[in-house]
Amino acid sequence: MRRFLAPLALSAALAGPLWGAPERPAVLQVAATTTDLKALVEEVGGDRVKVESLAGATHDPHAIEIKPSQIARLKRSALLVRIGLDHEPWLARAVATAGEARLAPGGAGDLDASKTIALLQSETPRLRTDRRAHVHAFGNPHYWLDPENARAITAAILDRLARLRPEERTVFAANRDRFLARLDAGLARWKRALAPYRGERAVVVHESWPYFAERFGLSIVAAIEPTPGVPPTPATLAGLAQRMKASGVRLIIAEPYSDASLVRQVAGRTGARVAVLVPSVGADPAAGDYLALFDLNVKRLAAALAPQ
Amino acid sequence: MIELLTLPFLACLVLTLMHVHLGLHVLARGVIFVDLALAQVAALGLTVALLAGHSLQGEGAYGYALAFAVGGAVLFALTRTRGGAVPQEAVIGIVYAVSAALAVIVLDRAPQGGEHIKQLLVGSILTVSARDVAALAVLYAAIGVAHWALRRPLLEVSLDPEGAARAGRVLVFWDIFFYASFALVVTSSVRVAGVLLVFAYLVVPAAIASLFVRSVRARLALGWALGAAVSAAGLWASWAWDFPTGATLVSAFGAAIALAAAGIGAMRAANAIRAGGLAALRPAAAALGGLLALAGALLLALPGMDHPWLDAVESAAPQVRQAFLDDDEIETLRDTEDSLARGQTDLDRLRRMEQDVRWGTLAMDAEREERLRQFIAGRAELVAGDQLVLRTLRDTARGRQRFPLGLLLAIGGGALAFFFGRRVPDRTLPKRNV
Repeated sequence: MRRFLAPLALSAALAGPLWGAPERPAVLQVAATTTDLKALVEEVGGDRVKVESLAGATHDPHAIEIKPSQIARLKRSALLVRIGLDHEPWLARAVATAGEARLAPGGAGDLDASKTIALLQSETPRLRTDRRAHVHAFGNPHYWLDPENARAITAAILDRLARLRPEERTVFAANRDRFLARLDAGLARWKRALAPYRGERAVVVHESWPYFAERFGLSIVAAIEPTPGVPPTPATLAGLAQRMKASGVRLIIAEPYSDASLVRQVAGRTGARVAVLVPSVGADPAAGDYLALFDLNVKRLAAALAPQ
Repeated sequence: MIELLTLPFLACLVLTLMHVHLGLHVLARGVIFVDLALAQVAALGLTVALLAGHSLQGEGAYGYALAFAVGGAVLFALTRTRGGAVPQEAVIGIVYAVSAALAVIVLDRAPQGGEHIKQLLVGSILTVSARDVAALAVLYAAIGVAHWALRRPLLEVSLDPEGAARAGRVLVFWDIFFYASFALVVTSSVRVAGVLLVFAYLVVPAAIASLFVRSVRARLALGWALGAAVSAAGLWASWAWDFPTGATLVSAFGAAIALAAAGIGAMRAANAIRAGGLAALRPAAAALGGLLALAGALLLALPGMDHPWLDAVESAAPQVRQAFLDDDEIETLRDTEDSLARGQTDLDRLRRMEQDVRWGTLAMDAEREERLRQFIAGRAELVAGDQLVLRTLRDTARGRQRFPLGLLLAIGGGALAFFFGRRVPDRTLPKRNV
């Protein structure tokens, strides 16, 4: 990469005096597939990087229709950070269309953040001999919702940014240290807030929260809509409500885009409280960055669980 | 069951009463897809409401959807031309495609994603609330009364537009009235039941009724009865067979019209046999022979592909497979089937236990819980292995079935098709007057 850049920089330096072009772009262009990864790259890169997210915070990451602007964004990016697993089925075609070899899987500019994570729910589909929905055949991809995982993700980001910009490694490392200090303070704060509710059982609408639940000591017992987009059957719904009542589950975790009438009905039948948790940075105005995302979710969870 | 399905059933009845009536008009006018197009236009209105900052459940969003749908309705009323170069079906199709595309463009910029819109199009008849049903019933009662009071001009304009025009009716006015109330109904129904189910209620009962009776009154009565019966059957099937409710109801409507068509077909065949003797069945026999020959040819050419008909035959009559296996293989087959049944029972029991632990109705310490999980994984692996053995045995049998069975079917079916398909000399059939 450097060998490739050197003649470029030289020619730019020579040409510079002619029309005043800078030797190299001041900031590193990075593309992230989600707003959460964008937030984490920004924490490490600071003002030395310009990060753009290919998917919006509220877009279904499984169903993105690729736009020309996203191809252009990929073309000018030195680094592509992605969730990996089967979270971005549209990405392979976008990268192929962009035609930049460095962004192809395994290339110098491709960072699959899932490689750094101990995944949950990663049983191979072969084992699931009975009929059960497994949308996430390679393990549950919502790993950014465990704040501890941000350590490994930012470490990988730091490593990659420093390889692309060796002279700025110390800046990136200092940024990451500052972020980790704030993360530690946040973790202490969040764990304190949720400590009274350790072991609380919860029903989720979608299987987006296993990492979050594991970290904060919640136990997820069932999903209302195991296959996104396929409404539950009457028997499932009746059985679920009955089990929830029988075993005293009093919390439903929904997302902002969950089917409101479905959540209302399960809550109405069981008397459980609903916590609408935000799965991505930017999906709620109050979740502006990675730490704010957890501040908001912990606040909503504690409010739903607090005795009234 | 009754408790959970009462409200959905009431909602289905309200939908039946309104939609069968509109469906008769829609069938008479030949604008079947106007419903899907208007629903899509309403969905576009919802996305624009999102862009304007309204929440989807609010009255503001409903207003947007309604305004867009009524706009589409006026467009359809104005484009109802007879004998023009562009048929109205083309206009409807264009409106559908363009509003769906515009919705994608608007959603790309909307502050909320498209999940809600998708849910609206799918609908959630199972989780309908008492308030939804009551609001729908009041609205449809009002529209129903208006349509009943104006039934004469509305029917004339739908059934015989030329005659209505000669009688001095202003067609455009009545078309706008019809399509606007239609837009109001579609916008409101789709919120509760989703696009597909609304379409089924609109078209299927009215279509079946039109197959059997003539007068508007009789069609309406039969359509209502059918709609109510199919709703009950669909809800029951959704409960008993554990299927998603909305999709099951739509499929039930599909099954109903297929049954009706099969009944009419059987009646015609019976009439033909009465008139022309068994010779009337020759084309059917020829078609059957052709299908058998095709199945045989596929077995000959591609023994490794899925042959669902052969699987079905073998599960009904295991001898068809066992005849092609030697004694050792048959013993393996029996052992594996036993072990599979036992493994599956075990697995079900263990899974239930894991569920109980998960839900907290069964206490278990963390280590035993982990052991249970490992045990389940191991059991599942064994079951998967057994299934693999069965599949291998099936493939072995297939390889040996290939030539004897494939040739038999191909030749026999071909002969059947040839014998019954060849042109019959005129004297064997009674003279037809074409």
